[in-house]
Amino acid sequence: MNSAQIEIQLIASLVAIACAIPGTFLVLRKMAMISDAISHSILPGIVVGFFITQDLNSPLLIILAAFTGVVTVVLVEYIQKTDLVKEDTAIGLVFPALFSIGVILIAKNANDVHLDVDAVLVGELALAPFDRLVISGVDIGPKSLWIIGTILLITITLLIAFFKELKVSTFDKGLAASLGFSPAIIHYGLMTVSSITTVGAFDAVGAILVVALMIAPAATAYLLTTNLKKMLALAAFFGVFSAISGYWLAHLLDASIAGSITTMLGLLFLAVYLFAPNKGVIAVMYREKQQRIEVSLLTFLLHLKNHSEAEERHVNHLREHINWQKIRAKTVLELALKNNMIAVNNNVVSLTDKGDTFTSKAIDYIITNEDAQIEDMKDDFFLFRG
Amino acid sequence: MNLTEYFELVFTDYTLRTITLGTAILGAVTGMLGSFAVLRKQSLLGDAISHAALPGIAIAYLITGAKDSNTLLLGALVSGLIGTFWIRGIVKKTHLKSDTALGLILSIFFGFGMLLLTFIQKQPNANQAGLDKYLFGQAATLVESDVWLMATVTGVCLFVLLLFWKEFKILLFDADYTKTLGFNTKFIDILITTFIVLAIVLGLQTVGVVLMSAMLLAPAAAARQWTNSLSKMVLLAAIFGAFSGVFGTAISASQTNLSTGPVIVLVAAVFVVFSFIFSPSRGLLFRQIRFIKNRRDLELHKTLALMHHIAETHDDITHPHAIKLLNNFQGFTRKTLQKLVEKNYVTLDGNMWSLTKTGFETAANLYTKQTTEDE
Repeated sequence: MNSAQIEIQLIASLVAIACAIPGTFLVLRKMAMISDAISHSILPGIVVGFFITQDLNSPLLIILAAFTGVVTVVLVEYIQKTDLVKEDTAIGLVFPALFSIGVILIAKNANDVHLDVDAVLVGELALAPFDRLVISGVDIGPKSLWIIGTILLITITLLIAFFKELKVSTFDKGLAASLGFSPAIIHYGLMTVSSITTVGAFDAVGAILVVALMIAPAATAYLLTTNLKKMLALAAFFGVFSAISGYWLAHLLDASIAGSITTMLGLLFLAVYLFAPNKGVIAVMYREKQQRIEVSLLTFLLHLKNHSEAEERHVNHLREHINWQKIRAKTVLELALKNNMIAVNNNVVSLTDKGDTFTSKAIDYIITNEDAQIEDMKDDFFLFRG
Repeated sequence: MNLTEYFELVFTDYTLRTITLGTAILGAVTGMLGSFAVLRKQSLLGDAISHAALPGIAIAYLITGAKDSNTLLLGALVSGLIGTFWIRGIVKKTHLKSDTALGLILSIFFGFGMLLLTFIQKQPNANQAGLDKYLFGQAATLVESDVWLMATVTGVCLFVLLLFWKEFKILLFDADYTKTLGFNTKFIDILITTFIVLAIVLGLQTVGVVLMSAMLLAPAAAARQWTNSLSKMVLLAAIFGAFSGVFGTAISASQTNLSTGPVIVLVAAVFVVFSFIFSPSRGLLFRQIRFIKNRRDLELHKTLALMHHIAETHDDITHPHAIKLLNNFQGFTRKTLQKLVEKNYVTLDGNMWSLTKTGFETAANLYTKQTTEDE
């Protein structure tokens, strides 16, 4: 690994953490698409800043771009307040219009300078180490590293200082307002931070990767935990992991670094989406299937309890009576046998004592809906875990 | 070239005619289908799908090695559909909300597409040039066969829309009821979603990934302001979309260095702003005018009620009173008094006012109406 490679990975990791923090709150506040809107609509801000300063590295560009980001949020909210269209339509109307203005401004006035839309959207992380910050003749590292480092530092400071306010206003706006935190100030504060992070990061990695780094790690983390602090930590971890592994994937394929990092984020999300212990698709499907079988089992036991005559309880008759397919009837029968809830005698099924108490308890629970009765059953049956 | 020259040339110049027709058809079909997207609260789906189509384009190119636009669009369609159904899977199976799912699929698919595109670019002897036109769109690359494809898709789409009109309409406004009526809601749902994805994919070549969502939304959002009827809205949205296409192309052709996609989007945005402000029933302007008028009426009524209160104490209701008497009441001005005179409720004589008979009766009625409503 040479120093340029280390610097690229360092920049990517810092961007990942800087994005994961506001991203977590955006996902929790159901405003994830705002980050997409901001990342596109800052374009005119950058272009106008460039026309004023004629310098792509001027801090004025970042300020104007971040300002445009906040303007986007305000515009979206204004349109939403008029009640003429829904919120998502408002977002979808505002950012393409602003983006179009940016594209036209570039095409009309800046065709011959180094400011093309491709670079803005896609970014080129591989070039970041070549743009050095030199102070009085001393090279102190890539410029992007300093920019994103500063933004990250500010973000973390704000996060620690306003953690309580952010938490309360995210989960209960009414409570936050009644406790005296202004939800509006926190909202616009968060939007400003998101906006500045987007601008600072996309200079290095491009708009789409910024959106991916804001949403994907937070969404992945949200599938694994419901604890805010853990979610923040997990999101930052996933971001950094994808940044570094994505860099090496790009190295391997000789492809875009931003694209590779996003692909890693996607793979990570896919894995968690499928295999997360409680909320993953497979876990959910397994639980649903198990619950279906258990409902069948309960129906079956209730049937046994209601009928004392032998012909109603004959194995073959049950199949016809409850109208289950062969396989399901067999699964249920085996499950009941395994749990010692029934005994089969000459193909006639009868409830054991254990089965009898279980059924009575279950009926009690269904009628009264009182949890206390079934605490001991929760360990064995998904059905009663809710 | 200025605008008049453009419109003279449209009928004779092959390229201009093709592009204009293409953008007009595209605007019409996206406007039409966009109405459904907007009403189904799937506005940002267009944004997500247009990004999600990119890896499909790249993979189609990698597999076939050809730059045939139909093959690439087929790839885009497949990956757009995968993206759409994954978004649904995420919303249905996890507790992530739809905006997170949209943003997630949008950025991940697009990033993966960029990975593939840069991978393709590094391949030796690849004639990949032109693949990136799908990012920003280039209406100028439209050829006659593209326009035919668009026209065919629009035709099929129109046919299906008319055939299943009743089903689409009822699904839009009451999905549960549709199910109880025995319609196969899943089928209708997949059908309409597929057509929306198809329209988006068609637009990629013309206006590009980023601006496609505006093409889907803007005409529909503008049309929504003018009518409450679905059929009128769809028709209006198609017209707005087609006009945005034609005017956008005209403006961009009449100037140098103006890319067509952004101009079309801005023209569509102008339609939206105009509709937001000037639509008679929902528009902001008339809403504000109604608001002011209501407030004025209320003030007039308040003044009249006060006058009635004073006049009541006299045997002769037309007995003149000094205007000064009204001074401790804030609602009145010279202007409102003048209004009351115009309505023949009050007569003015110098600094004295007196209620007319009609004025007294109206005020009395006003009062009784209010009290009976209070009860």
